[in-house]
Amino acid sequence: MSGAQLLKLENVTRSVLMPDDSELHILNGISLSVSEGDHIAIVGRSGTGKSTLLNILGLLDRPTSGNLAWRGQDATRLSARRAAHARGRDLGFVFQQFNLLPGRTALENVMAPLMYATGRDFWRRRTLATEALEKVGLGARLDSMPQTLSGGEQQRVAIARALVRKPRVVLADEPTGALDVTTGRAVMELLDAATLESGAALITITHDINVAALAREQFRLEDGVLKGLAAEVAQ
Amino acid sequence: MNSLGRIFTGFVAALLEAWQELRIHKLRVLLSLIGVTIAVASLTTAVAAAGMAQQLMTEQLERNGRPALITTYAMNERGEQVPSVSPQVTEAFAKTAERFNVEYASMVSRSFGYQVSAQGATLDSEVMIVDPDYAPIHRIFAQHGRWLEAEDAQNLAPAVVVDRTLYQGLGLDQGSFPASVEMNAGNQKITVTVIGATSTKEGGLGGQLWMLPQTYDHWFAASAPLTDASYEMWVPIEGSEVLAAHFGSQMQTELPGYSVQSMRSDYLSWGADESLKQLALAAGGIAGVILLLGSLSLLNVAMVTMKQRIREVGIRRSFGATTGRVFFSVMMESIVATAVAGGLGVLISVAVVTNPKVISLVLGQGIDQMPGFPVGAALTGIGVSIAVGALTGVLPALVAARVRIVDAIRV
Repeated sequence: MSGAQLLKLENVTRSVLMPDDSELHILNGISLSVSEGDHIAIVGRSGTGKSTLLNILGLLDRPTSGNLAWRGQDATRLSARRAAHARGRDLGFVFQQFNLLPGRTALENVMAPLMYATGRDFWRRRTLATEALEKVGLGARLDSMPQTLSGGEQQRVAIARALVRKPRVVLADEPTGALDVTTGRAVMELLDAATLESGAALITITHDINVAALAREQFRLEDGVLKGLAAEVAQ
Repeated sequence: MNSLGRIFTGFVAALLEAWQELRIHKLRVLLSLIGVTIAVASLTTAVAAAGMAQQLMTEQLERNGRPALITTYAMNERGEQVPSVSPQVTEAFAKTAERFNVEYASMVSRSFGYQVSAQGATLDSEVMIVDPDYAPIHRIFAQHGRWLEAEDAQNLAPAVVVDRTLYQGLGLDQGSFPASVEMNAGNQKITVTVIGATSTKEGGLGGQLWMLPQTYDHWFAASAPLTDASYEMWVPIEGSEVLAAHFGSQMQTELPGYSVQSMRSDYLSWGADESLKQLALAAGGIAGVILLLGSLSLLNVAMVTMKQRIREVGIRRSFGATTGRVFFSVMMESIVATAVAGGLGVLISVAVVTNPKVISLVLGQGIDQMPGFPVGAALTGIGVSIAVGALTGVLPALVAARVRIVDAIRV
């Protein structure tokens, strides 16, 4: 069941200027609504604009045209500082290549987002990070360096890091892309369960239709256009 | 949470991030900071050495009289070739000094050819005939026992103060004061009471001792009358030239038949401090060049490192790090690192500059009184290292702050 609306895209386009001064249209008229508790999957082949869409949804990038609302406010007018605060407070990212900070233990990696928190969350960062790692089953690997963890474990650290500030939206960009099928499925189940428990919306970008099938709502991104995918997945 | 609390949390977090970064990359940081440590150590050593040399030279120069020193003497117009030492001149000087409210004034005369004996040891010595104010005027003090006082003129035995050569050479350092020693001048043998010893030492083999003019008159003048004397005053530097001229004129009126000369004679009046300033400038210039080279090497390493950390910056931005916070964190990394390196450089400098063996090696001889390490030099070293950290941190911090998040994450 969906809760309050968090993100709303209306006719969003994104284009970039090429070296020969021509314009490359990556996204064309994207409309999407994301509410609390939603679990959305967006599938598409490489180069169709999946990551660009994720960047816009994650307030990392801005649309060229169209409306982007974040919790009812026009997000295209958010200052860089406010967008950063919104990212830190309400958005969690899970990347394909895990993007763990090198040279830091699992615990330090999960503590990293809390360095940008204020008040109790900052001062209790060790406790909160430990709890987050315990939830993803890595309570015994707190002091392990990323390179000593398996791919699945590294992605679980990344999930703990994405969830440690209790975000309203979790954005996962090809979260199983670097994992084998079994581990990938386990990671997706973990991500699904964790967001279900916290009530956060989960948006998964993937090229794997089986991963997309785990979501309650599916879309296909093709040539920069977003289409519903319910029938395709059902087949 | 109020904005003050947010700023405090942000500051603490930036410091923690900086420290974490330095801890993780300690080898790279260590290597890149060697130049800064050496540069700060060189700069601090140069500043400290120049300061200490200045202090030592000042102390040595002030042994000849602290600024402003006015020396006065009177020549008898009947054809004497040396400044007169008559009671009339002494009285005129005292009267004039009192009239001008001079706080520190002393007669100065010398008598040579004495031998001083005690405990089987005999040393040659000269005798300085001075008033009690001679000690503050010449920055000397009794390191053991006490200096001469006006009441010592009433003593039944002549009271003297000896220098370090006599103190050690006659074995007085084995006993306590007052101590008795024997003075020989020609056929005359007089037992004198040593009431104190100074830390000073004359350049030659012989020693030096001081006694009051009244003491000399009573015990020694008959066999070795003084041939000449001058009179010294220690006065404030401001207006001292004018004072010397007025003092000379006034004393002249008290001494008909004499020609009175009164003039500044301390080291500042003949420009000895110029060489000290040049020494400090030269040392500072060399250290500045070393510091510049160290800073450039640090900046080079910092820029290369930042290029390699772009992805990490992108990840942090996705956590909610603002551009300001990224800039501040990178700056803090640089400042914390150079402050630590600077502290180390200052410690090395203190160890080098205050080591007597190193001083002997550099100067070719030991020094009598080791001056303390100048606090100003240490503060300069720390201050310069923090400034270097801030300056060399600005460029990498700007690079980090201008990173486009979507590009950085893809790197």
